[in-house]
Amino acid sequence: MANHLGTNAAAPVIGTRRNSTIRSRLFKTASNELISPFYLWIGLILLTLFTLAPFVYLLLTSISPSIELLDGRLIPKSPTLDNYVRLFTGPTAASYISAIKNSVSVALWTTLLTIVLGVFAAYALAKIKFPFRTTALFAILAMQLLPSISIIVPMYIMMRNGIPVGIPFTGIVFFHTPPLLDTVAGLVVAYTTFSLPFAVWLMAGYFQTISKELEEAAYVDGNGRLGTMFRVVIPLAMPGIAATAIFTMLSAWDEFLFASAFTQTEAAKTLPVAIREFIGRHNLDWGLMTAGGFIASLPPVIISLFLYRYIVGGLSAGGVKE
Amino acid sequence: MRKPAKGGAVSSLRLSRRGRKDLLLAFLLLLPTIYILLKTFVSPIIESLVWSFYKYNLMDGSDVIWVGFRNYKQIFGLNEFWVSMENTAYFTVFTVGAELVFGFFSALLLNQMFGGRLFFRGIIIIPWAMLTLVNGLMWNWIYQPGYGGLTVILHKLGMLSANSNPIWLTNSFKIMTFASIADIWKMTPYMTLLLLAGLQSLPSSLYEAAVMDGAGFWKKIWHITLPQLKPAIIVAVVLRIIGAFRVYDILTVFSGDPTTSVSFLTYNYAFRYFYLGKASAMAWISTLFILALILVYIRMLKRNSELE
Repeated sequence: MANHLGTNAAAPVIGTRRNSTIRSRLFKTASNELISPFYLWIGLILLTLFTLAPFVYLLLTSISPSIELLDGRLIPKSPTLDNYVRLFTGPTAASYISAIKNSVSVALWTTLLTIVLGVFAAYALAKIKFPFRTTALFAILAMQLLPSISIIVPMYIMMRNGIPVGIPFTGIVFFHTPPLLDTVAGLVVAYTTFSLPFAVWLMAGYFQTISKELEEAAYVDGNGRLGTMFRVVIPLAMPGIAATAIFTMLSAWDEFLFASAFTQTEAAKTLPVAIREFIGRHNLDWGLMTAGGFIASLPPVIISLFLYRYIVGGLSAGGVKE
Repeated sequence: MRKPAKGGAVSSLRLSRRGRKDLLLAFLLLLPTIYILLKTFVSPIIESLVWSFYKYNLMDGSDVIWVGFRNYKQIFGLNEFWVSMENTAYFTVFTVGAELVFGFFSALLLNQMFGGRLFFRGIIIIPWAMLTLVNGLMWNWIYQPGYGGLTVILHKLGMLSANSNPIWLTNSFKIMTFASIADIWKMTPYMTLLLLAGLQSLPSSLYEAAVMDGAGFWKKIWHITLPQLKPAIIVAVVLRIIGAFRVYDILTVFSGDPTTSVSFLTYNYAFRYFYLGKASAMAWISTLFILALILVYIRMLKRNSELE
């Protein structure tokens, strides 16, 4: 392409009239850009409209009185918080509140377990050379990309019977967990199955970006492997670990397949399951349903907006499927 | 890499002395993760393969018996299965295709320099961050006949006469299409962000030479942007196909019909009829398909990292 340089270079035409300057400024594309300002802003307006309209509509519906909704009003004439009051005090409040509690504890426990275990595995895979290391990394990536449906049937039986914890292939069992169906602990186990390989893959990627020189310096200072890991690698990789924690939390908050298969009562039902049940239960009460949906979406939306930088960094590191 | 050889020699000496200790340490650090994944991932997925060759019916308490490939044969002879496959394929092709097109142009917009760019980049994350189930609920509300947002807006714009009031979700094709639109709304930002990351890694002087040649918008896209962005596009598309093929959650909001997706049908066989053998076989058909895609994805990752 460089050999064409200068052959066709046309000098920019400078308009004499003011009108044409504005026009040329609007429609002229800068040399290192693709889109002229005019089309850029048309595109941005359309993008904003399509992105925000459904979400704003959800919010507006949730603050509309039912009577206006059935009239087909888009923007409420007399906005009210009645739907939210009914959500938290009405006859179904108890089940919604317990769903929030279950979702919070499932998300937090899954994240804690995943990060604490995953950090060690990711460090080993990123920083210590051993045979089949790359194979192990790709195996972990593959696990995380497989659908939950691949393992849900045996996992259901495992949850129903409880999980024996012991040394494999020897018959030695230290203890046997009680049946985990319809418990928060069961969901934490199920979610960790997928979030652990995901977290290990993502964190190993972050750890690999930390320079060897810094580690060498820590060795020279007399730190061992573990000392280097805790004093140098983990602190430096904190943004990556934070991103991983956010993704783990968001996906646990969103998960539906395991939750709908493994939970039956308020003891363990999470928000997505509660939202699914809304549709049968609150027939036509769209104000209440959208209020419930809005509250459930608020934490992930706020977290993503505030921690935008981490989310984008994590997404482009690859392997996030949803 | 370009450090003097002395440092390298010292560290390799150190490593060889520490080699055995390192190996032990790596094993210890990996042990909890390996144990958990063996227990909750590897062993279930193998069990599911084994069960797919058995008649394993949980409900009637009958014996578990070896049936060879009978489950698979029955599934392939099942009309429901092919309908669900078709629906899943339609959903996957439609959503990933539309997300790629919209995501690509959104990424082009957001890659330009302009005031308030961060604001626009920020808001597109909202659909992605919403709960999948709430997204389904929200679009179900939009599609409500009579007073839902879609009908109301079409009435107001005069695109629908005042006395016509269509019911949008009548047959399975319409359900799949409208559910796809909901998914496209939610997942286009994901595609946008992946492609935007790809665009940002391209040099900013990319188009200057083409401008000298007098190339227009479409020419620049076709000859410069697309070829340069190809690795990022393939990675994003493969990841999205893997994500879309497993669709289940959003469909349960729109329809009780299990033939709307393979995952839905598998779920129903497992947890409504408790035909665990057949459900395992069906799950393994999905697993094999996704595994093939994963291999493509890993190959792409390897090739991309070699290019760098």
